[in-house]
Amino acid sequence: MSGHQHRAPATGAALDVYLQLEEAIDGTLSGIICDTDSSARSIIKHVRRLHESASTLVSYLDGTSLQAGDFGKEILESVAFLGDIGAFIERLPEKMERDLSSVQALVAEIRFLGEVTSDVKAISLQSHLLAINAAVEAGRAGTVGSAFKVVADEMRRLAGNSSAMALKINKGLARAQEIVENGLQSTITESAGQIADVSKAAATIARLRDNFDDMSQYYKTRFAIVMKHNEDLVKDIGEALGQIQYQDVVRQSIERIRDAARRRNDALRSLAFMDGDHAGEDDELPVQLELILDDYLAEERKHRHPDRQTQGADAPLKVELF
Amino acid sequence: MAKTIMIVDDSSTMLMSLRNSLEIAGFNVLEGNDGSVALKTLQGGAKPDLIITDINMPKMGGIEFISKVRALPGFRFIPILALTTESQQGKRDEAKKLGATGWLLKPVSGTDLNKIIKQVLPGA
Repeated sequence: MSGHQHRAPATGAALDVYLQLEEAIDGTLSGIICDTDSSARSIIKHVRRLHESASTLVSYLDGTSLQAGDFGKEILESVAFLGDIGAFIERLPEKMERDLSSVQALVAEIRFLGEVTSDVKAISLQSHLLAINAAVEAGRAGTVGSAFKVVADEMRRLAGNSSAMALKINKGLARAQEIVENGLQSTITESAGQIADVSKAAATIARLRDNFDDMSQYYKTRFAIVMKHNEDLVKDIGEALGQIQYQDVVRQSIERIRDAARRRNDALRSLAFMDGDHAGEDDELPVQLELILDDYLAEERKHRHPDRQTQGADAPLKVELF
Repeated sequence: MAKTIMIVDDSSTMLMSLRNSLEIAGFNVLEGNDGSVALKTLQGGAKPDLIITDINMPKMGGIEFISKVRALPGFRFIPILALTTESQQGKRDEAKKLGATGWLLKPVSGTDLNKIIKQVLPGA
């Protein structure tokens, strides 16, 4: 078939369909570019919200930690204060023992004084008897013994007063002794139970303080773990945002493919519309296509993807600081 | 005080991704969707601490942008990083000659970007 002959109709029809297919593909490629762009922007928004939520969470935890710290300080101060009270109360039995000894000594003194007043009573009785004898003898002595009788009478009166006073003192001492002994006994009986309860309370307070220390340490550890996870989360968010850059790389790659395909299709379209007189000019088609191919490959070389490049001297550097 | 970084790229998705990465890292961000837009911003008085620019942009590409920025008073020593899909050595050499501080190939991970920024921007 010479170059001046008409192209076979089947070839022209096939070319038409081919070009229609290419148009459809071109549309799809443009759609892909739009879709990936929207998707990337949506991912960026979500990732940013994720970061904001993580930051808010950390702020809450930080605030809670500060409040817990203040609260913990108050608790520890209160526990220390209660501990001091408990220690004071625990020392009370010892103090009461000392007070008891003092009171017992007091009771002994009262008893002794009681014995003294009994002696005084005995002495005053004897004095009374002596006075009576003296009065009798004074009576026998007649007028000579009258002065002596006065003295004897006085003595009898004094003895009577002393006896009465001794009796009063004795009664008072007995009452005092009764009060002290009974009161002390009931105080000791009552206090023994309360002191035992306070000792239990002091032990409970000590356990409370230990539990609080444990709980405080537990939450400090958990907080540190959460902070570490949050740091990792922020780092991963940064990485995710970096990966979005692939959308730009892919977009450019698709655009290069689409542009090369459009140029090829334009060249083929020219061929499809050639009439018989110019049919010989379709020899230019391979040249045009070869040019399109060279341009496309040159562009691809300019944008070699370093992550896909195998190791070699000509592999492009990802990062170069001058 | 937070440092300011200017990002220049014709892709709005790239600008959005970089902006969020840098803001999360604690930087203030200025944007330009082309070399000419960014240059106008700088001529208007903006003084970022670092510029990150794409190379292939429609109206004013990155190479021309770098050259014009270096000619502005007060911008001789501001670090300028190229962030691009371009891997041609020729373009790298040209950018270096015109005053670029570094050349980064997309995609750059968040960790790597932060590391590089810390290297070129002391105190960041």
